[in-house]
Parts: sequence; C-alpha cells; structure tokens
Amino acid sequence: MSIERFLDNSISSWMAGDGEHSDIVMSTRIRLARNLNGYRFPLAFTEDEAHKIDQSVSATLLDANEDLQMHFSSIQIKDLSELSRQVLVEKHLISPKLANSPMTGSALISDDEAVSIMVNEEDHIRIQCLFPGLEIQEAYKQADAIDRVLEKEVSYAFDEQFGYLTSCPTNTGTGLRASVMMHLPALTITKQMNRIVTIISRLGMVVRGIYGEGSEALGNVYQVSNQTTLGKSEEDIIADLQSITEQIIQKEREARNALLKHSANTLEDRLYRSLGILSYARIMTTEEAAKCLSDVRLGIDMGLIKDVDVTILNECMVFMQPGFLQQYAGTTLNTSERDLFRAKLLRERLQQGEKTKTKGENSYDV
Amino acid sequence: MICENCKQRPAKVTVTQVHNGEHFERHYCEVCANSLHPFYVEYKHDPLSLHQLLTNWFNHTDQQPMQQIQKKPPLECEVCGWSIQRFLDEGKFGCASCYNSFRGQLPTVFKRLHNGNVTHVGKAPGAFGEKIALKKRIEAIRLQMKDAIETEKFEEAALLRDEARELEDRLVAGGEEKHVD
Repeated sequence: MSIERFLDNSISSWMAGDGEHSDIVMSTRIRLARNLNGYRFPLAFTEDEAHKIDQSVSATLLDANEDLQMHFSSIQIKDLSELSRQVLVEKHLISPKLANSPMTGSALISDDEAVSIMVNEEDHIRIQCLFPGLEIQEAYKQADAIDRVLEKEVSYAFDEQFGYLTSCPTNTGTGLRASVMMHLPALTITKQMNRIVTIISRLGMVVRGIYGEGSEALGNVYQVSNQTTLGKSEEDIIADLQSITEQIIQKEREARNALLKHSANTLEDRLYRSLGILSYARIMTTEEAAKCLSDVRLGIDMGLIKDVDVTILNECMVFMQPGFLQQYAGTTLNTSERDLFRAKLLRERLQQGEKTKTKGENSYDV
Repeated sequence: MICENCKQRPAKVTVTQVHNGEHFERHYCEVCANSLHPFYVEYKHDPLSLHQLLTNWFNHTDQQPMQQIQKKPPLECEVCGWSIQRFLDEGKFGCASCYNSFRGQLPTVFKRLHNGNVTHVGKAPGAFGEKIALKKRIEAIRLQMKDAIETEKFEEAALLRDEARELEDRLVAGGEEKHVD
C-alpha cells in the first residue's frame, strides 16, 4: 500500500461520525506507551539501537496480519517530504514529535487508518487506536490485542513496582492514555467550560482545547483524557473516563436545550450567519473557519440546519489545516493564499453537502 | 484602522508581541484588547514545565534526601549514564534501568504526578503476569492458613501450607508453568 493513499484522503475511519453519541463525541483515542528491554530510550539511544528496535517491531506487526485481522503499511519518516509529514500529523496518524525525528522514527499505519503504531517516538513503541464516536472500550480492546501480539515477540521493559517503564514519568504504570474529543459548543457559549475543567482536573483527568492550550478551544472541540497512569488499572481508567464523558455529554445536552428554550432566535441567527459565511466568504482564517464550522455542526445536531452533511465538522477541521490545503493545492501556499484556498474549499464542500443541489464540478473529492 | 480581532470597531490599542525574537504589532479595539490581554504582564521566565516542577518538589519537600544526594557521589544510572539531576532537568528517563538506579527517589515524584500512587496496578506482560498472579495466590493461601490456625483447623492449615510451598517452588522456578490454577 503506498503512502499516497494516506496523504490524499482527508477522511480517516475515525471521522466517519457514526459512533456512539457521535453528535457530541467526535472520536475516541487510546494510546499505549511501551519500551523494549535492553535498549536506551529514544532520548538517549544511538541510531543503531533505533534501527534494531524498528526492525523487530515492524517485522512482528507486518507478520501479524492474521492474528489481528488487519494490514499495516510501514512508513519511514526520513522518506517523507516535510509536507507529507505535516499532513500525517494533521490527520492525527503521527505526532509532531515523530515528524521531527526524521533519522530514527517510523510508523505502521493500518489500511483503515484506525491504528497507527509509532516507533521510536518518545518511547520505543506507541500504539494508537482512533475510533469514531464514544468507543473507549472498543478502542482499548484493539490496542490491547496489538500489545499482546507484540509482547509475545519482544521483551518489554516492565517493573513489578512501577509497571510499564516509559521515558516520561507521567506515563509510567499502564502507559495508557485514553482520550475523547468532544464538540461542546453549548457549554462554551454558556460559559460553563472553566468550571468543568476545574472539576475534572481534580479527578485525575485533563481537558484541553484540541489545537492549542488557549482558554477557548478552536472550534469548541475539547479533548478529555486521563492524567493518572500509575496505581490505577486499565479498566478503572477507562471506566472513569467513560463516566465523566457521559456526564459531560449530559451537561452539553442540557445546555443545548436551555439555549433553544431561552434564546432560540439569537441562536438560530448565529448559526445561520455562520452557514452564510462558510457558503460565501472569500477569505477564511483557521480560527474563523473553526468557529463557523462549529456553529453549523451545532445547527445540524439541533435540527435547526438541514441539508448539510453531519460529517462536515470532523472532516473540514482536518482538511482546512495548512498541510492539507497545500497537499490539495499541489503547491506551497503562504498564509493569505491559504486563507483564500481554504474559503474556496469550504464553499465547495458545503455545496457538495447540500443534498438538494446537484453535484458541482468539484475536483476535490473529500 | 479597524480592530484585527473583531474586524468591526476602530483599533485603539497597540499590543507588541515578541515571538522567536521577532516583534509583531497587533491593533485591537478597546473591547477586544481587554478580553485578549486583560493583564499587562511581562513574562520574564518560560512557562512552568515538568522539569521545573520536578526540581522544585525535590528542593522544597524533600530537603533531607536532596542534601544527602549532594553529599554522596551523584546518583547515576549505570546503563545510560544519566544522573538523577539530568532526570530532574529533562523530566525524562534515559533508559529503563534509570528506574532501578533512582528507585528510592521515585516515589516522591510519582506521588505528585499520579494522585499519590506509587505502585502499578493493572496489566503486566505475559511472564510477569503469571508471576504476579502466583504471588497473589500464595498471599491468599497464607491468609486462609492463618484463619485456619486461629480457628484450630490444623489439618486444613497443613494442606494449605503444602499448597503454598508448592506454588513458591514454582515461583522460584520462574513461574514457567502455564497452569497457575
């Protein structure tokens, strides 16, 4: 399978928008950090060590097709152009850190892009599973299956007291980071997010805006994940995240209903204005696009806006990023050129999404 | 000139930002300037990072051990050569053996990072998993044995003792038998 497939397609399976509670939870991610015995961690290792680690991990996984019922493509970061690396980062298939480790990093990506295993990132192995909607259990099962295949063939660095040994002490223990990406516009509009962030942080969990740490998350998309990895079993970490997520979903639904009850006209006006901007604007910054997409998605979820495809937020949030835009354009673009091209793509995407209209002549099959 | 943020009101406030040594000027209206930059503060230091936290915890809360470390030859990992100071500075371990080399110091760090926890609970790789399961089983049998002795069921206690010994032998042999039960 060639790398082009991963680069050209803006949709990964996790963006499908058909999982549980998918009107609020955009995706679920599970990450397991593992290291091999007998090699120093990537911060301290040599290229020779890196090469040996890569070989044994890749060989094991490429042989595991039948056990895992999935096929991986192996990608060496050093073989990729800078733009290709950026596109993979924007699709969440590799981390920025791996993209910046050109000499030693590699990744194994499953054909449906739901699983990516990063080799020689901060740890020797990072197993990552991305599912659409709220599927923490399912995503963990998948990651666990891959972990079990690997542990049969390689010897993990493990300590009876400290558990799985990782480069960063914040991952020691289970090496598990479970996170859900949530679209929380109503809680943001009603200014409840700060309070929620404070409460959640007391429960060993963290909330972040997905792109950047600012007070307001881009596109009202937040990531909730576990902070504690030591002294808490995988099952408990998952159960706690599940229960917190369900409570936030409940609060978001309450806030949506309250908005509808108390300020339906103002809300509808705001959402339709955003649809108007997306449909007609000629210059669009990332921030403005994210805000408008969030509004339109909220409008769809609340039944106020019809005839627009529900996957619009998931997909557009990915393809409007700088790397993707340039990949589509087939050339490098400066900031103002990107804003023009972003506006063009969004207009076309919206026309395509309107079921009543006939398909336009768009060459960007997204 | 109109405000860069709301693009509606006239810009009245100029904010100078320094990013990677370059100066940028931003022009905002009073409303946006207040919401974007409510406080006028010049940051002289980097934002707080993990390694700073680690260093501070050691210095403030564990005066005693830290002084001891400094008097003794500095603690170093024999595999990667990283010192405990390097671990504290980077906020990362150099290799798996660092955990062993700095074992005594680590609970202080982990307590802070993991809600007071210092011991792993949960999954373990195959071989370790069996070993841990064996240990837990032996512990459980010992408890039963104690109960049996207290209630003067000595025959039952003797049986339990034999069972525990057998499991201990297996543990010493490396926990290789597949059938723990």
